[in-house]
Amino acid sequence: MPNTLDAVDPMVVALCAHVAEALPPAVLVRFQICLSEALTNVVKHAGAPASAVIDVDATINPDAVLIELFEAEGANPFDPRDHAVDLAALDPLAESGRGIGLILHCADAVEYSAPDGPARLSLTFKRDQTGDLE
Amino acid sequence: MIHTTQHPKDITVVRPGVERLTAVNAKAFKDAVVALIEDGASQLIIDFGTVTFVDSSGLGALVGVLKRVGHRGDLVVCGLNADVAQMFQICRMDKVFTVYTSADAAVQKLAENQ
Repeated sequence: MPNTLDAVDPMVVALCAHVAEALPPAVLVRFQICLSEALTNVVKHAGAPASAVIDVDATINPDAVLIELFEAEGANPFDPRDHAVDLAALDPLAESGRGIGLILHCADAVEYSAPDGPARLSLTFKRDQTGDLE
Repeated sequence: MIHTTQHPKDITVVRPGVERLTAVNAKAFKDAVVALIEDGASQLIIDFGTVTFVDSSGLGALVGVLKRVGHRGDLVVCGLNADVAQMFQICRMDKVFTVYTSADAAVQKLAENQ
């Protein structure tokens, strides 16, 4: 997808449609929130030019759905796990700062690696659960 | 982008005018509602009845509007579908905003409170 904010929503909608049959409805809600926040974060904060491209792979495995976001060439490495935010501890009247917390809260597993090529953010969503998280 | 409906006792119902309130349009939404407040609106109901998804930027914009209203008025929300309600719950926004099932219910309550 293009490295632009207006490309995020269409990609999220397309990914939700792609995995809709593979995830329970409650997990699909978390999936949508997580993907929206992750893609928005990459576009807004990775520092890559608007002409750059973010590759997104979706794999439906027997036990989980795996999403891999390959950040654009030239993006600044950003491991969300290093910037964990406890949503419960955040000022409820804060106007920003929830995105990373939502990514970590809504995915069942978050991995990040930055090898020689584009950095990869991996998000895992288990298929055999109700999905409700508090 | 927003659509408004005026009710007695200076109550204004605001519909965001988008299906998804996200980073791409949250600032425009906030700016539009803040303009209403600056024009004198103080009893505001944000009707999410046609909104299917809200991200953290959308919630941030809503919080910004709430802070702009401050103690001079009231701001409540209504019409949250299950997905939007879960987003509110995860982000503890259900503790910040009074939530009504419908715009009619919210209008009635705000009118009673005046």
